[in-house]
Amino acid sequence: MSNDIVIGMAGSGGDGIVSAGDAMITAAALEGYHAVLTKSFGPQIRGGESSCRVRISTRPVLSSGGALDLAVALNWEDFLKFGAELPVNGRTTVIYESATGVPPDRLPLPGVTPWEAIAVPIAEMAKQNAGTEKAKNSVVLGLLAGWLGVGRDSLVAGLRKKFSKKGAEVLQGNENAFAAGVQYAAEHPLREPRTLGTSDAMVEGKLVVDGNDMCAAAALFAGCEFFGGYPITPSSEIMQFFGREVWKYGGAMIQCEDEIAGIGAVVGASFAGKKAMTATSGPGMSLKTEMLGLASIAELPLVCVNVQRGGPSTGLPTKSEQADLFQACFSAHGDVVRPVLAPTSVEDTFAITVEAFNVAEHYQTPVILLSDQEIAQRKETVDPIDTKAFTIVERRRPTAADLGKYERFKATDSGISPLSHPGMPGGNYLASGIEHNERGAPTASGEVHARMNDKRIHKLDPLMRRRDLFLVEGDGHAPVALVAWGSVAGTAREALELARRQGIQAKLLVPKLLFPVAEEIYADFFRGVQAGLVVEQSHQGQLYRILRMYVNVPAGMQPLAKSGSNPILPTSIVERLQKIVLGLQRQRVAEVEPAG
Amino acid sequence: MSTTTRPADEYQAKDYKSDLKPIWCPGCGDFGVVQAIYRALSSVGRPPHEIAFVSGIGCSSRIPGYTTAYGFNSVHGRALPIAQGIKLANPDLLVLVAGGDGDGFSIGGGHVAHAVRRNMDLTYIVMDNQIYGLTKGQLSPTSPRGLRTASSTWGSLEDPVNPLLYVLGYGASFVAQGTPADMQGLAAVIEEAVRFPGFAFVNVQSPCVTYGQEEQSLKAQKGIMQTLASLGHDPADRLKAMALASEYGHKLYTGVFYRNPEPPPTYEAEARRRQEETRAQARPRERILEMFRPQ
Repeated sequence: MSNDIVIGMAGSGGDGIVSAGDAMITAAALEGYHAVLTKSFGPQIRGGESSCRVRISTRPVLSSGGALDLAVALNWEDFLKFGAELPVNGRTTVIYESATGVPPDRLPLPGVTPWEAIAVPIAEMAKQNAGTEKAKNSVVLGLLAGWLGVGRDSLVAGLRKKFSKKGAEVLQGNENAFAAGVQYAAEHPLREPRTLGTSDAMVEGKLVVDGNDMCAAAALFAGCEFFGGYPITPSSEIMQFFGREVWKYGGAMIQCEDEIAGIGAVVGASFAGKKAMTATSGPGMSLKTEMLGLASIAELPLVCVNVQRGGPSTGLPTKSEQADLFQACFSAHGDVVRPVLAPTSVEDTFAITVEAFNVAEHYQTPVILLSDQEIAQRKETVDPIDTKAFTIVERRRPTAADLGKYERFKATDSGISPLSHPGMPGGNYLASGIEHNERGAPTASGEVHARMNDKRIHKLDPLMRRRDLFLVEGDGHAPVALVAWGSVAGTAREALELARRQGIQAKLLVPKLLFPVAEEIYADFFRGVQAGLVVEQSHQGQLYRILRMYVNVPAGMQPLAKSGSNPILPTSIVERLQKIVLGLQRQRVAEVEPAG
Repeated sequence: MSTTTRPADEYQAKDYKSDLKPIWCPGCGDFGVVQAIYRALSSVGRPPHEIAFVSGIGCSSRIPGYTTAYGFNSVHGRALPIAQGIKLANPDLLVLVAGGDGDGFSIGGGHVAHAVRRNMDLTYIVMDNQIYGLTKGQLSPTSPRGLRTASSTWGSLEDPVNPLLYVLGYGASFVAQGTPADMQGLAAVIEEAVRFPGFAFVNVQSPCVTYGQEEQSLKAQKGIMQTLASLGHDPADRLKAMALASEYGHKLYTGVFYRNPEPPPTYEAEARRRQEETRAQARPRERILEMFRPQ
């Protein structure tokens, strides 16, 4: 009996491996399980290799998990292309297409002896039962349903939905293929059963959604009425969502001629009084930089999503990385502070996107929402969200008194000035990228420039006291600390729990506000900390370096930084923590008994 | 917001003039352009607060600040995308876009074709002086081949862009040219462009008195300009319009080159239709996430 199982499957593009993953997560959700589905593809547009990982658990899951419990290889060549993304170890049950002719003791998995290896005639079963090899994925679903004891009815219902339009014959064939898989599993029990149990943490009515769709839906919920953008992997789904949905809410979208025009239209819509958003990934972010500066100096609210992928330049367009943090925080000419927010999961993407709009509108500033490919394109089961619990913030509008002698950039205690928009009588002003005085008139005065910089930068100070944008977990007095952000935060949370079970006292800080750097919140967290790790998926350890710029980081804090597309596993974090704890113990001994 | 077109005499040209003092050199053609815009706007009669006036960067891009409209003096070359965002966000606004030849046909050149094919109801006025004035006299995309400038000591090695022919070629439904040498004609052509239901382009031969050539001066222009009407040109004839536009740089024609008698629908009108067609499918915002619940 298992409570938590990770399945990894790979095949060539036409094998339907990814749609099998979609079917599994849907079935798991319908039965109340918690699940995460990640997909990974080769660079080819069609065909090529494709894979997915499905993690199904009786309790909430925070990451796509570590080594595979079940590996499904429809052919070895494609499976092996995914390397560390589909890690097989001594506990893995490997199921593979027997037609590949590989004997179970000769698996092409160098240095690894899996728990067991089962060759199944998947293609042959598909052909016999459905008359076509296209039903291979239905056989695989049958095998999984049989061995895991999950989703038999929901999977059949899913097959019916999917194939009903393709005619009775195709549907029957796939149902037969599925049944053959189930039967095969029953006749070939695993070396140790991997049937999934149940728990009281299982909730029905779950949503199944990926980060990009969640982001776009949250934006609509927050009142976003305008999207301008340009297609780029892995963020295009956000634009596509707006293209489908925004009209229904009286809003509009425009697929522009380039990234600059995309954010330009958003700046225009915001000037015209609408909540507006754009979305892109690394290269597009580089192009949008000048417009972000314009929005900062014109004090116009907007949300700019960067779904991070591997960089620089085209880099790894389909793989996740957290290496755009420097860019998000610092890519601007002039003295600019721009809020940067990062969600940690698909579920969290809802709250953080709403927050991004609230911050943008309240402070009249562009906000960068730093998602990553891992979150954006993975599907999660999400428990129903109580949307009524969220506050939606609107920009400060001029009162009748303000409009008497309107000053767009009026000096106020908060630094936030009333913002009019075209159509509002008496609110007429000149928005500009050139420095301007309180009334909006262009100026080259150093005195006005200093005053306006002060206004624009310090209006954001209250953000640095937003403790609700930081998650703290673990033992508050622990001398060992973890800091992690974005999609890696879930992995770090699981590592913290693993470490606790191994007797390691540690605590974790997850910033969802990355910039401006909340110096006091970090200082409080680091009090008493001797050593630890800043865990992130970037070669340089960008968050680690930014923290060293702004915060007194304890000398024992080190980066655990890996280039993108190299998954960070909970176990690898715990291994590093063990070494750190051992180091601290040795140090203590050395202090007590100084070497003679 | 309601569209309020008032009696033409309710707003006078001075109601569109702001109290900012232009930074332009004395005698700059742009003074005439802004005067023509005041006149055209007073004829159209929309109150200043219902007008959004967007520009990029350059001498001429200072122009929104000299009007009482909602102005946006943005970044170099990006006035059109910003203006389209404004128009789509609030189609009831009257949206003007202006800038120089460098702003529109060099750094921002990639946006023009797309603004044309979306056909939003914008008026785009380019103050074409064949030189970069703000940066003190370098080559512009409309500078003639061989022109010696601060950046072309030995003469330009490039042919100029033909803004009129480009915009006609992109498929624009309204293309005109004017000059401050003929204020009445310029105001009339801008007014017609503003009233045109779709993307309207007006190229204005607005001379630079500091870095420009003698033959571009208003005085010189007065001697050579010819109205298209006086040639008997029919603005519905697109091919003839293109033939006449090809003489850009050699002849100075003023008036309307092309006016599509059956302009395509505007993007914003189509967007509104789509909003109306799909409105009934909207889930209440607070239940929006239910679309992700598997059945």
